[in-house]
This record gives sequence, structure tokens and C-alpha cells, in this order.
Amino acid sequence: MSRDDCITCSDQAVQARVVEVDGPNATVEVDGRREQVGIELVEPVEPGDALLCHAGIALEKLS
Amino acid sequence: MKYVDEFRDGQLAQKLAREIEALAEPGREVKIMEVCGGHTHAIYKHGVEHLVPDEVDFVHGPGCPVCVIPMGRVDDAIALAERPEVMFTTFGDMLRVPGGRGSLLEAKARGADVRMVYSPLDALELARRNPDREVVFFAIGFETTAPATALTLLRARAEGVRNFSAFCNHVTIGPPLRAILDSPGLRLDAFIAPGHVSTVIGTRPYDFIVEEYGRPVVVTAFEPLDILQAVVMLLRQLREGRCEVENQYTRVVRRDGNPRALAALEETMELRDTFEWRGLGWIERSALRIRPELADWDAEARFELPGDRVEDPKACQCGEVLIGAIKPWECKVFGTACTPERPIGTCMVSSEGACAAYYNYGRLAVPV
Repeated sequence: MSRDDCITCSDQAVQARVVEVDGPNATVEVDGRREQVGIELVEPVEPGDALLCHAGIALEKLS
Repeated sequence: MKYVDEFRDGQLAQKLAREIEALAEPGREVKIMEVCGGHTHAIYKHGVEHLVPDEVDFVHGPGCPVCVIPMGRVDDAIALAERPEVMFTTFGDMLRVPGGRGSLLEAKARGADVRMVYSPLDALELARRNPDREVVFFAIGFETTAPATALTLLRARAEGVRNFSAFCNHVTIGPPLRAILDSPGLRLDAFIAPGHVSTVIGTRPYDFIVEEYGRPVVVTAFEPLDILQAVVMLLRQLREGRCEVENQYTRVVRRDGNPRALAALEETMELRDTFEWRGLGWIERSALRIRPELADWDAEARFELPGDRVEDPKACQCGEVLIGAIKPWECKVFGTACTPERPIGTCMVSSEGACAAYYNYGRLAVPV
């Protein structure tokens, strides 16, 4: 995710846009980069949703 | 960029700064602890401290998980990494953290199989691809990071991936705050509580700070305007004689947090009786371990660990920095013997550590 920051930091999380959903994972886009995140904690998720992601999982949907 | 630009607007920042100026009482210092390393980093990076009057003093709290991990646990991690059958996976930030026997990076240089990952799910994928190796994930972090470990453990169990385990060092935010509030001689007037930890745990866990200690709390996001707004909210509470847990980060944080994340944590982990924190000592019920039902995925249950306690280096004053007793630049070795390139203490290792943040962004104001 945000590579300049400390990813261990419990409070670093980034906002990402869902591109595609595939089972318990979603492909999300952050600053033009695509990554996979686990979405069990925020399902159901649709393309276009904004998610707060940290350490490879989505923690919350942004309202 | 949406959700970023609108929180870095210079004119709005000036407006909030004027509001803070008007709310601050001349000559009456207000000490605000920002608990989280993410906030510390943002305050220095964006120069937020220069936008507030002298009366408002930011005290940097213990919310950097890299900074609070005791050296003995780093040595345990190195012992795991040096086992010939182990592929040891860690967030990159932990690589340079010095233990009593050097760092994981040095262990890697000596031949240990240490890999950097961005997520425990990446470590699980390494385990799937390398069935002949024991993949161990160095699980550290507060309640923001712990759900990622929890989900990974649940997936490992569901898929029956037997060559994956986690070395669990997850910690909780409430107990160290109570320890700080109980420490003698410390004067704090208010708290900026972490935004993303609160996404998981909600705002209720901070109620004790207002109810038992009478200090206002505002849960806040990480852009400079968020932090300035939190200062406004805290100063208003103090001015009006209110003492509440307020939520500035309503776009993400809910009163009860994320129940599914909490359920995943509950299913996989339980509180340890006690855990050592760098600078704060042993704090009861302040850390998590993997539940016995998941012992097959618990590195502490599966491998013999040295488990030795290691004293912090004498020159290092990380402990005092972590409880806000001294500022980073007041440490004897700040910027001289201890730098981000060659850190002595953990606060200089992590970019979220108060010392590294100050070293990288703030040192023009104070000669080193």
C-alpha cells in the first residue's frame, strides 16, 4: 500500500477503490496501483466501493 | 485526489489555526498526547506543530508498534529466523529493529531466510508455494493490524495449510494509555486517539479516559486538517468544561467499531496475562496471543524460543520519549550516535517513531 510509510504502524491504512471482486478477495486500486485485499470483514463489496485497507485486508467501507 | 486534497487545503488550515489561537488561553499550556505514531508522523511531516500557538504542546504517545516491541521479542524472532527449516516473513519496518543479538537484517546477512511481506496473507501464499518450508509470520501491531493476522489464521485453518504459523506480538491500545495516565509526574490535558485502531475497536474503549481520569478525547484521522480540527475540538471541550470522547473521523469510525473484525480477533486470539512494553515495562492484559485451539498455527507453541529478557541500551532514552517525558531531541544520543541509518533505539527505526519523524522532518528548528 503506501510504501513511504511504516506499514507495521497500526494506524497506517489507505483508501482504495474496488475494481473487481473475486470470492474473499478484491482487486483494489490505489494511486494507479492494483493490489489484492481480503474483504471478509466488509462484505458485501461492489466495484466502485471505497475501502479502508491495511496490511492486505479491508477494514471498513468508507461512507 | 479525492479524500486527500480536501484535507490538506491551506486556507482551511489557516482558518483552523486562527480558531485554535482564539481558543488557547495565553500563558496556559495545554499538553495534548497524540497516541498514534501515524499522527506523530503527520504532525512533523506537515508542520502542524508550527500552526498552533506555543500554548499547545504535542506529546508523542506509545502508538508505534515497532517502537514498543521489547528487544527480547526481536531476539526470539531472530532465533526463529535462524532455524534451517524456517522461512521468516516480516513487515519491512521490523528488519532493522535492534534486538540484543542484532537485527533481522543482520540475521539475513548471515544466511537466515528472512522475507519482507506487505501482508500476512502474502506470508500464507509463500507457505502454499513452499510446502517443504515452515513459513513463520512476525505478527506485530495494534488492533488495526491484528485483524489481518486473524483472517490469515482463519484462512490457514480453513485451507489446512500446516506449514504456516504466526509469532504473535499483537498489542492493545487501552492498557498502555492507562499505564501512562497512572505514571507519576506526567501532566497531560487531553488525548488525540488513533483513527484506524478505532475503526476496528470503536470509540467505547476510550470511555475510561474521560470517566476515570477526566481527560477529553477526540478520535481523529491523519490529514493535517483532521489533526487541527481535533485540536479545536479538544480546546473547546476544555474551554467549556466538557469531558467527552468525540469522534472527528466519522467518515470511517463507528461507536462500536467493526464487529466482524472484533469477532475474527475473538475467534483467533486471547489476552495474555502480561506483556513487556519497551519504555513502559510490563503491562497486564495488554497483548494478544493465539488461542490454544489454533496452536498448530502458533509459532510460540510449535517452536522452542529463547524467551530471554533483554535490557535496553543504557544510552537509549526511548522509554522517556515513549511516555512523553522528554522530547526526541532531548535524548542524549539523538541525531549523533542514534540516526535512522544506525538506530540505537526503536523510536529512530520506524518512520512513525517520534525520533525518526523529528529527525526527518523537524530538526531545522532545533540544532542537533
